[in-house]
Amino acid sequence: MSINSATNSEVDAPISASPAIAGRSPRQIAWSRFKRNKVGMAAAGISIFLLSMSLFAPIVCRLLGINPNDLNLEGLNSSGIPTGDLAGFSREHPLGVIPGTGRDLLAQLLYGSRISFMIAILTTATALTIGFFVGIVGGYFRGRVDGYLGRFTDFLLAFPAFFMIVALSEPMVDRIEKFGIAEGNGARVLFLILFLSFFGWPGFSRLIRSQVLSLREREFVTAAQAMGATRRRIILKELVPNLWAPVIVVVSLSLPGYLASEAVFSFLGLGVQPPASTWGILLSNATRFVTVMPSFFLITAASLVIVVLAFNLVGDALRDALDPRADK
Amino acid sequence: MSPRYALRRAVVVASASALLLGTVVVAGTNAASAATTPKTGGILTFLEHEPRLDHMDPSRIYTGRDLAFMNSFHTRTLVAYNPVPGAAGANLVPDLATNTGVPSNAAKTWKFTLRPGTKFEDGVPITCEHVQYGTSRVFAQDVINNGPTYLLSWLDIPKDKDGNSIYVGPYKSTKEAQAAFNKAVSCSKDNRTITFQLNKSIADFNYLATYGVISPIQKKKDTGDKYDLNPQATGPYKIVENSKTQLRMVRNAQWSKASDPVRTPYPDEVVIQFGLDEEVIDQIMLEDTIPSAMNFGGPLPSNKDKFFTDAKFKNRRMNNSDPYAIYIAFNVKAMPCLEIRQAMYYSRDAKALLDYAGGPDYAGSYATGVISPLVAADYAPTKVVGPGSPDFKPEGNIVKAKALMDAAKTKCPADYKKATEDGITLDVRQSVTLNDTIPINEAAYARAGIKVKWNIISAGYYSTVMNPAKQKDMSASGWGADWANASTVIPELFASFGGFNLSQNTEDPAYKAFEDKVNIAMKTTDRKKQAVMWKELDAYAMKQMWVLPTTFGKAQEIWGSQLANVFFWVPQGNPAYGKIWVNN
Amino acid sequence: MLKFIGRRAIFAAFTILIVSAVVFGIFSLLPFDPAALTCGQRCTDQIVEANRVRLGFDKPIYEQYWLFLSGIFLGRTYGAGSAAVGALLLWLTVGIGLGIVAAKFKNRWPDTSSSVFVLLATSLPTFVTGLALLIWVSIKWKLIPLSLQGYTSLFDNPFKFIEYFILPWITLAIAYAAIYTRFTRAALLETLGEDYIRTARAKGVGERVVFFKHTLRAVLAPLITLAGLDFAGLIGGAIITETIFNLPGLGRLTLRSVYEFDLSVVLATTILAAVVVILMNLIVDMLYAVLDPRVRIT
Repeated sequence: MSINSATNSEVDAPISASPAIAGRSPRQIAWSRFKRNKVGMAAAGISIFLLSMSLFAPIVCRLLGINPNDLNLEGLNSSGIPTGDLAGFSREHPLGVIPGTGRDLLAQLLYGSRISFMIAILTTATALTIGFFVGIVGGYFRGRVDGYLGRFTDFLLAFPAFFMIVALSEPMVDRIEKFGIAEGNGARVLFLILFLSFFGWPGFSRLIRSQVLSLREREFVTAAQAMGATRRRIILKELVPNLWAPVIVVVSLSLPGYLASEAVFSFLGLGVQPPASTWGILLSNATRFVTVMPSFFLITAASLVIVVLAFNLVGDALRDALDPRADK
Repeated sequence: MSPRYALRRAVVVASASALLLGTVVVAGTNAASAATTPKTGGILTFLEHEPRLDHMDPSRIYTGRDLAFMNSFHTRTLVAYNPVPGAAGANLVPDLATNTGVPSNAAKTWKFTLRPGTKFEDGVPITCEHVQYGTSRVFAQDVINNGPTYLLSWLDIPKDKDGNSIYVGPYKSTKEAQAAFNKAVSCSKDNRTITFQLNKSIADFNYLATYGVISPIQKKKDTGDKYDLNPQATGPYKIVENSKTQLRMVRNAQWSKASDPVRTPYPDEVVIQFGLDEEVIDQIMLEDTIPSAMNFGGPLPSNKDKFFTDAKFKNRRMNNSDPYAIYIAFNVKAMPCLEIRQAMYYSRDAKALLDYAGGPDYAGSYATGVISPLVAADYAPTKVVGPGSPDFKPEGNIVKAKALMDAAKTKCPADYKKATEDGITLDVRQSVTLNDTIPINEAAYARAGIKVKWNIISAGYYSTVMNPAKQKDMSASGWGADWANASTVIPELFASFGGFNLSQNTEDPAYKAFEDKVNIAMKTTDRKKQAVMWKELDAYAMKQMWVLPTTFGKAQEIWGSQLANVFFWVPQGNPAYGKIWVNN
Repeated sequence: MLKFIGRRAIFAAFTILIVSAVVFGIFSLLPFDPAALTCGQRCTDQIVEANRVRLGFDKPIYEQYWLFLSGIFLGRTYGAGSAAVGALLLWLTVGIGLGIVAAKFKNRWPDTSSSVFVLLATSLPTFVTGLALLIWVSIKWKLIPLSLQGYTSLFDNPFKFIEYFILPWITLAIAYAAIYTRFTRAALLETLGEDYIRTARAKGVGERVVFFKHTLRAVLAPLITLAGLDFAGLIGGAIITETIFNLPGLGRLTLRSVYEFDLSVVLATTILAAVVVILMNLIVDMLYAVLDPRVRIT
């Protein structure tokens, strides 16, 4: 907890390392800090690996010789549990097959995670962008602007988002299909992203606003104002850098949150529909077999847990690296 | 596609041959329970996945399981099925009446005399007037819907120019219409005998009197649509709680053993827990967590082996053929091309889907038509589809399907384009099993070049698919006979006046000849000749492929270790719920 | 302060009215016909029309709206709060507690293990954790008796009450605790680096006082924002948990009403949810001022 020594070492390090004082941008400092965090680096490696596996699922599957849509009905017993050659792991099916249809689990996970990632990442990005903007404007300008924005976010937050999504899912998906924007599961994914971010941004915005509200009362902002800094400068240079820490924490948690809400909507039959797969569909399918074929459940759940864990550890490391006052 | 989703479990009058045709009563329970003496007391609990019973209003119940349940405990009817094991379970016995109905005038007039000493739960003695009023309610189809509607076409009441009865129920009929009804359903001077005047000979009219649609209801207690929530009890139990999570019934003090020769109320309370997760229900049964509980809907396919291969459940399980023919109805208006309908049949992987549902042990057998083998007299393999037909292959006959598609290409190019490019849409009920059945189906139809799409319906499945404007190209469904006559199957499913004509086939050029023959069969009183006609009509419907027949179903039941005297009751294809007692 | 509350109360009433109007509007514009949905198998146009009259859908929209609004507060009872309140207490305790531990022992094993634990728990959707808890804890291991019969009031038998709700509480708490742990940890670490903490330490203020009086207090403000929102969301949003544990909750009721187009129930729950959110926001804003003296209420 010795903050002083840690801060000092930050300042001292470059000086003692090289006689010529080399200026470093905050970004460089952050990167050098991040590099030193072994856990963070490992998590980043895993995250990038998993994301690219899922992004390039078709190539990966071709290389491994697996196909997500091949059924293997012959090897299933009357409860749908794989038997004989299909049981357990093998070269043909590295993670085994899914009970009920005998499709390859690894291929399904790779293809399924693609849709799940897409929904989670796009929703988080959209909601965060809107929330960030509205939050800063509201928090900084206060008064009337904040009043209106605040009431509008209150209004959206007071809205029963979940039920709206349930009720509107069918007609909205129809509408999207009729306009020819997307079809079938594409339309459903689009609907989920639009609606989840529409009802998701007020949460971000409130959080950002509360941070800005207390930041702008702080000495360094008052100082900047006293020195005649422009609004633009105060927001971009004084406020935004101080918002990174809470934002990264919230993003690294809301991303898995949206992965989970995709799962819930699939579980309720409102999200992506079979034969397409997502983590949600696979998980809800796996819960049915949890007592007869635990491996299916464990692998599916573990894959999700690993991803969430990796994202969060990266988030932690990033937060530590970006925080100008962090002691590391 | 599971029997728990089937519309109604209906009545089968078992003859010896019906039992031979696959009704397997698990023997252990009967033997074991015969040795013990009945115990009174305890709480009999049913665990149910669905959020409620479809209906409780006696005029509106039509689902076989709900009928068996409510009639065992709560609602008395004029006559009842005898709650005993084996074929005798399908015999009629007097219930509220002192006889099983006396026909006269070539079975156009039916008389039932009421038993003395019967009362509603509020103590009002049951009279003929109450039965007359109860019977009139079904005519108010705008309020009292979903029940069996045979009375609307059978009772001798004048019809308007559209062929609808001029009587529209007790709530808003004119005086003349009410008088016409009171003439068709009349009470004797002493208010003890009820007489039904029919417009044609119905030799098995008294089977309809086992349904609550002919049962006593007090006019002053009738709350119309809301009567469904808390109907007055006439049987040994009355409803004390009907909430979103449970239905709870306790003893009805106004019921007396002396006036009821059918029921033997053993438990103190009967409870249904609604809305439980299916896996949770199965785990409760597997661990025997609630020993006085019974599974109300049968175990999940993935858990069936656990119950049926382990000897420890020997006395706690049954596996029987149920009276359903399961099929997928084509919306013939949307799919007018016969060749494509047939190609769908031949490209479907019936074996994979049957195996998925548990195989022949649990899921039943390949259907040969819409008349179930349990309707013994009227059943014969159609030889058009299913086992016994030349082109049938359980895993699909792709050569035949492709040939049919080729024929369709020239004969009906627009429909061919729809089937191969746009896709044919199937209505299905939301379920976890879709995660597996959709890929299996898509792969199967793709073998013949057919593309399918899915309309997954989360709530109100039947009200959606029964609406011609909302039904897509095909809808999964199931039907069982109301009693042992295919007159409760073929006309109901395919005739324009039928109650369940999902197939929208009336514009098919092949339809006219069919309906003429149905009308002749309906009028035929020689039961043997009639049976021949039903068999021919079944085959005819299969030739036209108005529905895609899938399976003749089976159903499983599981119960906890404290329940005794559980046996299969033939009429509705359920356990005789009212005979179960709790050992504790 | 009073003026502030008064203004917010007026505004809250407006918001509730607007929310319910919008919900009503959306539902009445949907291409679904509730009258047809309640019609059943033998659906003729006649029956649909009759149902329309029976359900009140033949009346002009504003009149329907009034019918529903007046129907809401009559004879409808709600027993949903218990699950949400218990879960909130549980996840706040566990979440903030673990967050403090993690911050105190930053980058040492208590930090890592608490992180891994909450992330493991939170990355599984509630239908997985809930089902697993119910099947194993209640049914297989019989640690907590399975109670399907409905709950006893807290005041009649607190033990039974807790027994009934403990698994739902845990399920919900698991889903929410992680975000609080992470947030507490992050905010604590940030605050500990602030100048005023350094000043306090330099003044010789005890480590305990620094932590609880100066640091934790600053951290609580944003946490309360989160908790208020999450709690309000739970009132109607714990559908999966309610379904698995067969709780007579609001979420399940609303979901079914949405499916069945029971507009009066949808509106009633919507308005209730809106009231809770607005109340929570109000409380949060006031607490803010109490907790963070730098924020002035205007």
